[in-house]
Amino acid sequence: MQDNTTSASDMRRTGGRLVIFGIASILALLIGAALLLFLALPDAGAFDARVERMFVENTDITSQAEIKLLEILAQSGTAFADTLASYRLVIYTLLVFATAMMIAALVFLILIVGFNRRLAQIERAGIQVNSLLISREENTVYLNNLGFKLTDATMETMSVLAESRMDDDVLSGSEIEAVISGRSAADCDEAAGATRIKRLRDILGNQIVSELLVKNIARRGYMLAVEKDVIKVL
Amino acid sequence: MKTFVLSLTLTLCLSSMATAQCFADYKAKQDNPLRLHYGVAKISGPCSVADAKSELAHRIAINGWTVLKVMSVFGSDGLDQRKDSAGQYYLRF
Repeated sequence: MQDNTTSASDMRRTGGRLVIFGIASILALLIGAALLLFLALPDAGAFDARVERMFVENTDITSQAEIKLLEILAQSGTAFADTLASYRLVIYTLLVFATAMMIAALVFLILIVGFNRRLAQIERAGIQVNSLLISREENTVYLNNLGFKLTDATMETMSVLAESRMDDDVLSGSEIEAVISGRSAADCDEAAGATRIKRLRDILGNQIVSELLVKNIARRGYMLAVEKDVIKVL
Repeated sequence: MKTFVLSLTLTLCLSSMATAQCFADYKAKQDNPLRLHYGVAKISGPCSVADAKSELAHRIAINGWTVLKVMSVFGSDGLDQRKDSAGQYYLRF
């Protein structure tokens, strides 16, 4: 089944490659534009060369005043060339800024697409626990800031499970019973631990379902806590 | 025979140099910033535009000038009419 479908991780990988290609092509375009800007525009010598040619080709330009005028012409041309150079720099700076903006926009766009995909996954997965807070004084467990009241016994089970999870341990029923009762695991019954787990599931599951799905509205009755249009009956 | 021909050419050369002095008017430039001048200079070598150009190029390169074009070569009778135009570059190099 997995072979002819595109999974989310595949999409992310091709997306990443696409981003790298995109940014590389943008950089290449930028470098090309820079080369074009800095090479194609005439340099300062172009004006001097033009004036020089005028001077050589017109044989009757020999008087000192005329020659002085030609020199001034060449100087103003050079000044103009300097202005052009500064314009070129300004244009290039703007180009760099615009490209940076474009890259930023592209990155944000891709981030948004990624977030949307993740959000859709979360919505489909149902409840995803982002925070688990165990309050021993209140005998309460907070899942994603939803509080669930537990009894003393189930609180013990919850604490043991949380601690073993933090140590990346997997506990068997007899081990759970051993930790809670304080005896050695060999003396404990597997079924006793399983019973503790069952009680914890019952009390927690009941409260989670009543919080998320089957709501009880005080003095009025019961109601499903889902949108009307997501319900389909086959 | 050989010596005769040699002496003849030498005499001809010397006589031509002695009788008619050779001058050239030229246009020259300096780069960065561009400066131009029109000048008149005395030519000591053969009196032709091409020879005058190579001779002048060496002479004025010392002062950082480049010969653009030698306009013409002429004798001492053409000096006066070009004196005003050449100004400070009249027979300077």
